[in-house]
Amino acid sequence: MKKLSIVLLVLVAAAVAIWYVPLQAAVRPPKLEYQRLVLPNGMVVILHQDKSTPIVHVELWYHVGSKNEKPGRTGFAHFFEHLMFKGSRNVEPEQHTSIIASVGGQANAYTNEDTTVFWQTIPAQYLPLVLWMEADRMASLRIDQKTFVTEREVVKEERRMRIENPPFGLLNELITFNAFDVHPYKHPVIGSMTDLNAATIDDVRDFYKTYYVPENATLMIVGDFDTDTVTSLLNQYFARVPKAEKPVPRDIPVEPQHTKEKRVTLEQPWPLPAVIVTYHVPYNGHPDSYPMFVMSKTLSDGQTSRIYRKLVYDSGLALTAFGSSSFLEQPGIFSAVALVNPGKSPDEVEKALIAEFDKLKTGGITERELQRAKNQFARDYVVSRLSIKEKASQLGHAEVIQKDMASADGEFDTFLKVSLEDVKRVAQKYFVPEGRMVMRIMPRGGVVEK
Amino acid sequence: MTTKTVIAIVLFGGLTGLVAAGPERVANEVRQRVTGNAPSERTRSEAQSRVEWPRDNPPRPLPARPVTFPPYEIRKLANGMQVVLVSQNEQPVVSVRMIIRAGAAHDPKGKHGLAMLTATLLDQGAGTKSAEQIAETIDFIGGALGTGAGTDLSYVNAVVMKDSYDIALDLLADVVQRPTFAPEEVERQRQQALSALKVAAEDPESIADRVIDRLIYGFHPYGMPGAGTTESLTGLTRADFVDFHKKYFVPNNALIAVVGDIGAAEAMAGLEKHFGAWKAAEVPALAVTEPPDATRRVIVIDKKDAVQTEIRVGHIAIPRKHNDFEAVDQAVKILGGEGANRLQQVLRSQKQLTYGASADLDTFKWAGAVIAETDTQTSSTAEALRVVVDEFTRLQRERVSDGELEGAQDYMVGHFPLTIEVPDAIATQVLNQLFYELPVDDLPRYRERILKVTPDEIQRVARWFIRPSQLSVVLVGDADKFVNDLKGVGFANYERIPIDRIDLMSPDLMKRAGAPRP
Repeated sequence: MKKLSIVLLVLVAAAVAIWYVPLQAAVRPPKLEYQRLVLPNGMVVILHQDKSTPIVHVELWYHVGSKNEKPGRTGFAHFFEHLMFKGSRNVEPEQHTSIIASVGGQANAYTNEDTTVFWQTIPAQYLPLVLWMEADRMASLRIDQKTFVTEREVVKEERRMRIENPPFGLLNELITFNAFDVHPYKHPVIGSMTDLNAATIDDVRDFYKTYYVPENATLMIVGDFDTDTVTSLLNQYFARVPKAEKPVPRDIPVEPQHTKEKRVTLEQPWPLPAVIVTYHVPYNGHPDSYPMFVMSKTLSDGQTSRIYRKLVYDSGLALTAFGSSSFLEQPGIFSAVALVNPGKSPDEVEKALIAEFDKLKTGGITERELQRAKNQFARDYVVSRLSIKEKASQLGHAEVIQKDMASADGEFDTFLKVSLEDVKRVAQKYFVPEGRMVMRIMPRGGVVEK
Repeated sequence: MTTKTVIAIVLFGGLTGLVAAGPERVANEVRQRVTGNAPSERTRSEAQSRVEWPRDNPPRPLPARPVTFPPYEIRKLANGMQVVLVSQNEQPVVSVRMIIRAGAAHDPKGKHGLAMLTATLLDQGAGTKSAEQIAETIDFIGGALGTGAGTDLSYVNAVVMKDSYDIALDLLADVVQRPTFAPEEVERQRQQALSALKVAAEDPESIADRVIDRLIYGFHPYGMPGAGTTESLTGLTRADFVDFHKKYFVPNNALIAVVGDIGAAEAMAGLEKHFGAWKAAEVPALAVTEPPDATRRVIVIDKKDAVQTEIRVGHIAIPRKHNDFEAVDQAVKILGGEGANRLQQVLRSQKQLTYGASADLDTFKWAGAVIAETDTQTSSTAEALRVVVDEFTRLQRERVSDGELEGAQDYMVGHFPLTIEVPDAIATQVLNQLFYELPVDDLPRYRERILKVTPDEIQRVARWFIRPSQLSVVLVGDADKFVNDLKGVGFANYERIPIDRIDLMSPDLMKRAGAPRP
């Protein structure tokens, strides 16, 4: 067999002197080293070696998520993820996971708004097997009417289990549906029952040809491996997957600028009323997203966070209250949610939530809050890089979502540079009434009294 | 930025699928699938190759590196506190995990929720610090502090950057040894717990879990609601918390693990400084009766708006420290555990009745249970229930094949290196052995312990501990739409309870009509 050559783009940046010393001298975690390769067919490969335990994690990201779905086909990206376990030329249906389990490994997959990710963690000696199987389903997936119909029932059961049956299961779906006008982040990743039923086998073929192609894929290999062996395995299995017939489409509808506050009131069979306030925020990696992240921490990370203090601890207005900014590939929303305690009024809760955003615009945050957010960020940064799986996830995020591999490590320093002025400026820019949605979800049949 | 996106949907509900073959046999198995009889799927499915993709044999594994259980140390302070040390310096972080040998099982009669609420209150004021000051201290250094209670134990965990080890211990020492139980914090947390109960009372999953425990263990402490009831939570006083704490939170009843980027000398010096003066005291022994024998009982909990039925099926099994633990554990794994799972194979892969099905062996200090769980759309409730019960019967009657057991064992043995990757996971394994008073020497002998179980052993234990005719069953769903099907699958007798009338403290599980509890 003809060996294809691999373009080796080693991007282990030269160590840059760390000149910024934060107030409390947070311990700087070790640099997350990596190698980045691009195969001739366009597939990107990120390698990170860690030989401390003889295991390896392989994670394949396809840059397709629910935001790529056609109108009337919500839920399709996730449904397709299930079909990737239904066999390929050399692997029988349902055998992918079984084979991984039979060597002691774990395999699974997930889909979100931006990506579909397939992963496996295995004893290191089985790396060839995993790469062989992933390449097999990238190149030769079996598509079969019967499987398509039966697996759809599993996905519908999944929707019932996650979304429709638990109390508050519909919460996220109701928030995004109302907060966005046109952007596909409006729709839930799991999709609607109607759209799932409408999907056809031609949709499956088309989706596979369009998105499951090497130039839309990024492979992370993290753990105990030998670089020469990996290079030869990549040549053997992935390099022979042909390029796509056409470029991967990237035409996602853009959310227009909102000009007026939106107010929505709904009913659900939930035990307590919920009050939700949302604002539109920039995409992940936008310079404004770092101050936004600081505010997300200040408003809602830990018991000293402002929302917890004000709504739960001090006033007892809410059973629970939390908020967070989405950090997606395209502009998303900051949402704050409070479940109103029995005997308290949704009006009061709404006022209290909005007041917390307004305070950020007028007063910003304190020096101590900024330092606390930075220290919390440093902790998150470290504890989300402990396992090889977590490291792979960070690397994939930097490459696919941030489109900047240097951010996998450099973000630590970017973050520590955020100033009090940055925070205030970003609050004033995004927490505006025109961009706000206020939603109330009331218990069907009235509020449960104490 | 590292924040996870709001919704990510995983493929399998925490469980891997059926195991077909063992590690040494994988290559052969897959090879046979390729070159042997073409399975029927091939004739009616089309491989979507964009190129002439070759028929291929799976590659052989690379040479394996030996795996051993990583180093750790066990020490003891003079006051009896057991210490586990795991040192690893990959990331500049230290985690401290403390276990107290008392949990919900130690709640006195009528005071259910006491262990849970005591644990919640530990960091809501301690030593000279208020709740707010404790939160401010830990949040400011970018640390995290968590407290809680389980069935047999209570815990306090802290994670900090390595330069904050002393601050973390200072806080932990206060929180564990000198909680304030300030009246206003007691009230605040009581209200939170009551509200949380209200939400849980409408969650089918949470209700199903609590009711199946109550059926299996009866009025044994493991059958009681660890989160309390409206009545019990309302009745708890400050004196109860003080008393519970005084009785059980003593060093000779505690284990602590220091894990991460810190050497043994520094770790021990810190522990001596902050916990050395903590006084030992005698811990009252818990008088525990045997749980009741397994009896068949079927409870249907009616929730009108449910689109799915939560199904739980199970009976009493064994405590953790039992000579047959390995064999029973593997039998349950074959029924519904990771790396095997007949339930998932039939309910999801063959019949598409569910997204996920599993069976767990819960093993506690004094008793344990085997519980199968799944959920299915309302109309297939009876069918799914029948499948679950049939799988219990099959496990009891039929000898497992050599291949199936090997598959389950291959997963467990092969999986071992994945369980020792991060230092916290190593510490958890050591803490578990110490907590259940099992030999730590078993840890490096993991492989031998797994492989010594034979199909005959599985059959022997399955015969005595699996009792298909004495299973307890809980179904939470829209009852009108499935109860008529139950008779047809062998469950003519059942007790039906509206969701808002469940009372775990009543023998028939029903709130008395006309006398609503507060």
